[in-house]
Amino acid sequence: MKRILTYASGIVVLIMGFLLISHDGVAGEVLPGEEQHADESEKAFNPKEVIFEHLSDEYWWSIVGDVVLPLPVIVRDDAGEWHVFSSSRLMNGQSYEGFYIASSGEYERKIVGIGADGKEYRPWDFSITKTACGIMVSAVVTLLLIFSLVAYYRRRGMRAPRRGMGFLEMIVEMIYKEVVVSVLGKDARRFAPYLLTLFFFIFISNMVGLISVFPGGTNVTGNISITLVLALCTFVVVNVSGNKEYWKEIFWPEVPVMLKCPLPLLPLIEFFGVFTKPIALMIRLFANMMGGHLISLVLICMIFLFSTMGAFATGVSSVFSIVFVVFMNLIHVLVGVIQAYVFTLLSTIFIGLARPELKHEIDKK
Amino acid sequence: MSLFTPEFGLAFWMLVVFLILFAVLAKFAWPAIIRSMEERAAFIDKGIEASRLAQEERQKVKEEVQALLADAHRQQMDVLQQTERLKREIIAKAQKTAEDEAKRISESARLAVEQAKRDAELQLRKQVASLSLQIAEKVIRKELASENEQVKFVGKLLNELENKE
Repeated sequence: MKRILTYASGIVVLIMGFLLISHDGVAGEVLPGEEQHADESEKAFNPKEVIFEHLSDEYWWSIVGDVVLPLPVIVRDDAGEWHVFSSSRLMNGQSYEGFYIASSGEYERKIVGIGADGKEYRPWDFSITKTACGIMVSAVVTLLLIFSLVAYYRRRGMRAPRRGMGFLEMIVEMIYKEVVVSVLGKDARRFAPYLLTLFFFIFISNMVGLISVFPGGTNVTGNISITLVLALCTFVVVNVSGNKEYWKEIFWPEVPVMLKCPLPLLPLIEFFGVFTKPIALMIRLFANMMGGHLISLVLICMIFLFSTMGAFATGVSSVFSIVFVVFMNLIHVLVGVIQAYVFTLLSTIFIGLARPELKHEIDKK
Repeated sequence: MSLFTPEFGLAFWMLVVFLILFAVLAKFAWPAIIRSMEERAAFIDKGIEASRLAQEERQKVKEEVQALLADAHRQQMDVLQQTERLKREIIAKAQKTAEDEAKRISESARLAVEQAKRDAELQLRKQVASLSLQIAEKVIRKELASENEQVKFVGKLLNELENKE
């Protein structure tokens, strides 16, 4: 018990430490401005700007204060030529090879180019952005964790893992036994690799996103492109593995004929359901994870909003903000686990629904 | 709102990374992990089953031993009882034999004694008779030494005879 308390307090201290370090980034960008142009301080700090900057993707990675890691930019211009260069050439509004980062407009904070007709256009952009790096970090962490478990089994054979490995195995077992096997039954072996990969990628991305020091702190699962791909994968798996019965139930469900014959009311609803299910998955994960980051950012921004009202207000708001951010981050840990679980569970259920027992199999029973 | 519009490039990288991750894990990690977990679960189940069987076996053996012991005990009791009975029988027989023997001996002794008694009585009677006769002879000889005496005596005898009649 005493040990658990020690661990817990250690974790709290760590989280607070991470927060202080990570939001140095915010402070670093804002505070010097305040000092240099004290009269323009209100103008210098725009919370909306800061929040959106942190939530959306970037072409470089601010590690701490002014230390920025430039990332490769890969774009294809409208003439079909590929351009690969470091994003450091685009920092501070510079332009390189006709490309620059739009500061406003439709493509705000994205790379745009000037076309032959003199208009701004968005090139094909395959840049390794901060979020793309975050994906790779999550993937690497996932690989390390899972392969350490595999290595453990290879080394220790039948011995049950303890501590860290035991925790990892517990999660694997929870997802495999409680979700995959209990929903899919005999098909479990076939779909388990996809579902387990899905769970661990989302779970680890969520957790990595909570650790705000480099190389964590990327808003991976709170980015709609990522959840879109994950939902798309589930969509493909569900519909590829769907059997005859599944398609029959979509286009010719067992309802009174008048509901489907002259006007295909139910088939239409069912058909839309095929798409709304993964879309709901996509939006649920995205909104939950982005919401968590948003709340933390808003609470931190409160400090800087109140800082214009004098030292007392700054002090009080700092304490309150930090306490609430720690609280929200702990909730976010919970949400991160739950959302990963829910995404996996629903994917499993959708796969299960796409494989109803065929008529003759039911009759056999 | 750029936050809510998917980026094609990012989605592309995501797809690439996720598919690679999936391929690697699906090929090298998940089957191994699941197999290990299931093997271990099966191993544990087997162990439990084996221990249950062993326990049952032990219970059975224990019962058998108990039954054997009880049987042996019963046999022992039987043997003891039999021995006891035999002992009693033998003793009784011996006693009876001894009694018979004693009876026989005492009977023969009694017969011998009676015989001897009878012999002795007979002897005694003969002796007493002869002695009486001798005494009587002597008495009579002495008494009948005189004629008077003889006549008196005859008269007395006659009186006696008469009185008797």
